[in-house]
Amino acid sequence: MNATRNLIAAAVLFTAFQACAAAPSRAAAPQDQCLSCHEDEPQGVAFKKDIHHLRGVTCAGCHGGDPTSDDMDKAMSKAAGFRGKIAKSDIIAVCGQCHGKADTPWRHRYQLTDVADSLEASVHGEALASNPNGPQCVSCHGVHNIVPVDDPASPVHPTHVVKTCASCHSNARYMRDFNPSLPVDQYEKYVTSVHGQLNAKGDPKPATCVSCHSNHMIVRVKDPRSPVYATQIPITCAHCHSNAKYMAQYHIPTDQFENYRQSVHGKALMERSDLNAPACNSCHGNHGAIPPGAASMVAVCGNCHGANADLFQKSEHRAAFEKKGIAGCVGCHGNHRILPPSDSLVGFSPNGPCVKCHQDNPADSTTAQIVHLRALLDSLSVGKAEADSALDRASRLGMDVSDAQYALKGAHQALVQSRVAIHSFRVAALAAVARPGIKIIEEARAAGNSAIHEYHFRRQGLAVSTLIVTVLAILLWLKLRQIERR
Amino acid sequence: MSRSPFSGVLGWVRERLPIDAVMEFASHKKVPSYEGSIWYYLGGISLFLFVIQLTTGILLMMYYQPGIQTAFESVRFIVVYVKFGWLVRSIHQWSANLMIFTVFLHMFSVFFTGAFRKPRELTWLTGMVLLALCLGFGFSGYLLPWNTLAFFATKVGTAMPAVVPFFGKGILELLRGGKEVGAETLVRFFGLHVAILPATFTLILGAHLLFVQIQGMHEPHSWEQLPQSKKRYMPFFPNFVLRDLLVWLIVLNLLAILAVMFPWELGVKANPAAPAPAGIKPEWYFLFMYQALKYFPAKLGPFEGEVVGILFFGAAGFLWALVPFWDTRLPQGARNRILTWTGIVVIVAMIVLTVIGLK
Repeated sequence: MNATRNLIAAAVLFTAFQACAAAPSRAAAPQDQCLSCHEDEPQGVAFKKDIHHLRGVTCAGCHGGDPTSDDMDKAMSKAAGFRGKIAKSDIIAVCGQCHGKADTPWRHRYQLTDVADSLEASVHGEALASNPNGPQCVSCHGVHNIVPVDDPASPVHPTHVVKTCASCHSNARYMRDFNPSLPVDQYEKYVTSVHGQLNAKGDPKPATCVSCHSNHMIVRVKDPRSPVYATQIPITCAHCHSNAKYMAQYHIPTDQFENYRQSVHGKALMERSDLNAPACNSCHGNHGAIPPGAASMVAVCGNCHGANADLFQKSEHRAAFEKKGIAGCVGCHGNHRILPPSDSLVGFSPNGPCVKCHQDNPADSTTAQIVHLRALLDSLSVGKAEADSALDRASRLGMDVSDAQYALKGAHQALVQSRVAIHSFRVAALAAVARPGIKIIEEARAAGNSAIHEYHFRRQGLAVSTLIVTVLAILLWLKLRQIERR
Repeated sequence: MSRSPFSGVLGWVRERLPIDAVMEFASHKKVPSYEGSIWYYLGGISLFLFVIQLTTGILLMMYYQPGIQTAFESVRFIVVYVKFGWLVRSIHQWSANLMIFTVFLHMFSVFFTGAFRKPRELTWLTGMVLLALCLGFGFSGYLLPWNTLAFFATKVGTAMPAVVPFFGKGILELLRGGKEVGAETLVRFFGLHVAILPATFTLILGAHLLFVQIQGMHEPHSWEQLPQSKKRYMPFFPNFVLRDLLVWLIVLNLLAILAVMFPWELGVKANPAAPAPAGIKPEWYFLFMYQALKYFPAKLGPFEGEVVGILFFGAAGFLWALVPFWDTRLPQGARNRILTWTGIVVIVAMIVLTVIGLK
């Protein structure tokens, strides 16, 4: 079986090699008469190190003409297809002769892909179509001095590509012609990021622009095809950060993606496609990605959970957490695997956050406060569930309890507010928002129970009245019989 | 010997009103007693249910507020917050339906026993008018809670007379108080339901009862043929009255069970801007006509099928009401087999069409 497979592979490679014979080859290099004249010119000097020259592509590969003729008129004649300096608008098409199409015959040999097609379809191709100064192949790869991407001399080598991108994207004057609303500080931010700092040290592994935005087929961030579209960001980051082998040298965990995916944020973003839910960049930043420090964690979470963060900042816990080196919100809720908050977070359950610092000591006033806080939350959540159940039961019995059901929505509001107010960690503050809700719950529960009682009362009343009427009917019938016997 | 308070009051009244004459009349009144006597109770049951309708209707009127912003809310208030309001409304709804049912039964029993014949033509005619008024009560009362089903059923129901040539549009606007079912229709139906129909009904009911009292109970032809010795009678008072009372108690029990165990739902408030929900149907007593109209072809010669259908039902009802005047076997008093079979076909058709319509 393997032998057959190898034979097929060999045949494919042979076919590819044959196809390459149609393209310029190393064997043709000695016949490149263009360099006879242009050898000492800057283009010639550069081209001698160019990957294309080294792989046998002659000047004519791009400029046309007959490279075998030493007669300048013949070699550079229009009849031989000489096109001279390539117009800006033609560059992608010229590169695309070899690098453009998916069906280019020699793509297997040189691992070339449909890069020209991708570039034309990208946001850069779109820019180029509207403005000839737009980016194209040579803007990133150079002109006569093109070297492989993995060559440290390449402008698109991981250690250079950021600067190459920045050459346009940090140029406000240039960018204004294409997308004035696009920020031009990405590079400034990138160099401050962990990725940027490592990159600056010559490490090619940390993320660069192309790691996240891709290279040729770059589309806008709001385009769902983009690797940095909101729902794609966790997957894009996970390409590196979930790769234990790749990340080994950095000594950081690689379970962030798995944890995030199970979190309340991950489920919202990746399962429900809720674009308001935070992705990696919402907390870590995007171009200036750094892990938030313990002190800044509350500010990061507070971007969305403003009221909770505000109450926490004003609470006694802020100073206590800082003293103990606990990272604000993360101290209780965790970071990547943030589960839907539960009232059980408050109290003395063995896995709860409170027990990390507090002991369940009945003699301690703090213990009493924690118990009181939890009791208030339970009064709302458990009480609301009980009231809901009573009203639901009454409703199923055919009783109209819609007014109470509507009023109970107020209790839900109070519960939501209480779950925010708990971040003050003060009984009085929580009670102020919880008590109106508890009152609503008590009234709703009473209405539900009253309706259930009323239901049974109606049936009991029916039984009694039916009995009375039946007895009356029997008495009447007896009287009738007595009359009719006379 | 001391006198009871009751006899004292009776004596006081006797001095002022000729109640002795009434008692005398009642004591001499007799009711034929045979296997078909059971049909005599249907009129009494209908009367009993009408009294319940009147009583519960007056109680509902104390809280009901006609108006598209208040009708539904006020009925909901009655059902949810007024003490025993749910019971009053449920009894009103159930007794209305039972009343229409018993009035239909009463009408058919009179039809099949030939009790409409001379000299009882006027009793029959007033009875037919009472039946029509009952249907009018049902139709007008159905809209009053202003719920979705009632709104769209009324929309369909009031659109039907519009197909009548010449007068159709006029009848439609008279019923609706405008081109569409709206606030004007609701007020109009309320007035019809609580004033015009009850007043008319009470007057005609009075005449109907008066005719029955003057002419006495109808004696079927077969019973009349019996020798005098084999004819059995029961005194109207107290025997028949007490039997009536016994039946009323049984009906009252049935009504209470239905009202408590199957309270009439209020539904969802009508929204005239919303599309009609699927499966809108009229009340069961109109369902046979509604279903039958579906079987009429779209065109019958030069006429619209629906127009022909509505005119057919109008003409059939009219002919039915005039049966005492065209029943050719009238002089002999014998059973008219064609009429009997016609009646049976009508009943079967009504039942079958209603059952199909309910599905």
